[in-house]
Amino acid sequence: MNIVSTYTWCQFTPAFALVGLAALLILADALLPKVPKRAYAFIGAMGCFIASYFLFSGEHTDVFGFIAAVATGLCLLLAFDYTKISCESIAGSGNEEGTGEFYALPLVACAGILCLTQARDLIMLFVSLEVITLTSYVLAGYFRRNQGSIEAGIKYLVLGAMSTGILVYGVAWYFGMVGTFNMGSDVVIAAIKGGVAGSPTLAVGFLMATALLFAGAFFKIGAAPMHVWIPDVYQGAPTPTTTFLAVASKTAGFVVLCSLALPFAPFAIPGSMIGKLIIWCFALVAAATLLIGNLGAMRQTNIKRLLGYSSIGQAGFIMIFFVNLNSPVVYMVSQYLLAYALATIAAFFAVAMVRTQRGSEEIAAFRGLGKSNPRTAFLITVSFASLAGVPLTLGFLVKMYSFVSMIKVMENWCGLAWVLPIMVITAAAGFYYYFKVIRAMYWEKPQAGEKPLQVPLCTGIVLTICALALIYLGTMPLLVLG
Amino acid sequence: MIPLAHYLILSGILFSIGLAGVLIRKNIIVVFMCLEMMLTAANVALVAFSRAQGTAGVPVYDAQVLSLFITGIAAAEVAIGLALIVAMFRARRTVESTALNTLKD
Repeated sequence: MNIVSTYTWCQFTPAFALVGLAALLILADALLPKVPKRAYAFIGAMGCFIASYFLFSGEHTDVFGFIAAVATGLCLLLAFDYTKISCESIAGSGNEEGTGEFYALPLVACAGILCLTQARDLIMLFVSLEVITLTSYVLAGYFRRNQGSIEAGIKYLVLGAMSTGILVYGVAWYFGMVGTFNMGSDVVIAAIKGGVAGSPTLAVGFLMATALLFAGAFFKIGAAPMHVWIPDVYQGAPTPTTTFLAVASKTAGFVVLCSLALPFAPFAIPGSMIGKLIIWCFALVAAATLLIGNLGAMRQTNIKRLLGYSSIGQAGFIMIFFVNLNSPVVYMVSQYLLAYALATIAAFFAVAMVRTQRGSEEIAAFRGLGKSNPRTAFLITVSFASLAGVPLTLGFLVKMYSFVSMIKVMENWCGLAWVLPIMVITAAAGFYYYFKVIRAMYWEKPQAGEKPLQVPLCTGIVLTICALALIYLGTMPLLVLG
Repeated sequence: MIPLAHYLILSGILFSIGLAGVLIRKNIIVVFMCLEMMLTAANVALVAFSRAQGTAGVPVYDAQVLSLFITGIAAAEVAIGLALIVAMFRARRTVESTALNTLKD
């Protein structure tokens, strides 16, 4: 029997390196009790940045892997600045006991994402997806002295495992219907045109399998109707974990969605019945996600919960690209994810800084930053303005791509005209709720006796880089379009 | 020889019971058992399909390999889940999902 592998070892070198580094850190955590644990966060972050360099400059640029690795590195830097809260919530006092794994596990999850970007069959896809989610469960529930963290961990675990069950049942039926785990256009074409034996029942089973697979992918990106976990988990999980979930884990979700959806591209033309069905399903999910995310965010007062709803809303704008499957979807999605990642990471760094020094995660805790920390307040303003889509930021450009992509679909099929008003309304809603934070910083007065925030080193550097990148890439659109 | 359809019906029933249990039951340990049942349903379907797709009595081993992976992942999931349940029980003295009410709109 001849065994042919579709993979080469060197595809997974960055992933292996990260797992090795994580194993070393866990060993060091057990064997070297004298070393301060926050050093592990720093080493891990450097490892991620080195991996991201090789992913970007390698033979085949892996854009999604690059975004995920950079995001994981930044989460670890955030954890580096967040040590005070971590120690309080894990060991219950100032000591660092038991905090070591918190800095090693994101590396394992990142390795999962790097494997996921290489996946060309459903087994690889499923196993690397599980590496990410299983690690995320631990990270979400890691602050065991914090009621919210445990609750977030359990809610994430139950809903995440349910979505895994749905996804893997879809994988089983996919295999049963097409006889292979490969995800390619040829397999999909054969299945939709009547299946292996040419009988219509096979196509029905195939559609069920596809629906189950997409449900699993929608859970990861937080698209409606699988978005329910996002606000609760984002609010309860430790802030470094929330950052990981919001950026790296969401990137992984879009990798899955791209590899599942793109084989359907030859069919996604409004001319045929099945093409209309595919386009209409994506449009419906995108519209529902936009509405739920953006309208739900409007009445939030907790900033992490607001960013949770915001991440649902942004996923809706990315979903719009999938309505037009015959455009360069992967490129568009990676552009949008880059803009979203830069702004969201900066926002979470600000949240962590305010939480550490003012002890609150409410939007009101940002009050008066415009007076007391004018430069930091400006950097935070840039990141929220980019999330809202203010012109001259990268967020505006990518949101415009999303609108242009939708208008192009409508030129071919006017039946989708209802999506555009929804996009306009939700983009306007975005201005309302992102500017709540900006209003708190500039229009509300600090309470008596509140000192200016001390900006920690990593936070200062990351906020500056993210804000500068957002403005630079936003004003030089040709550079991004490349 | 049991036909393929019977296995698929069994796996469908397992999947439905699991999904319904996750949605209906309040005790988180029972919810966990139901989650495992959903994964088992996929295993049953995979092994049945692996036989059905095979030629000349040799099954397609890809599917059976995946079912091994699923078993391993299910075990890891339970380990993490039980750890979280223990942490929750220490904090709240209950494992009912109705007690998870700190985070809400």
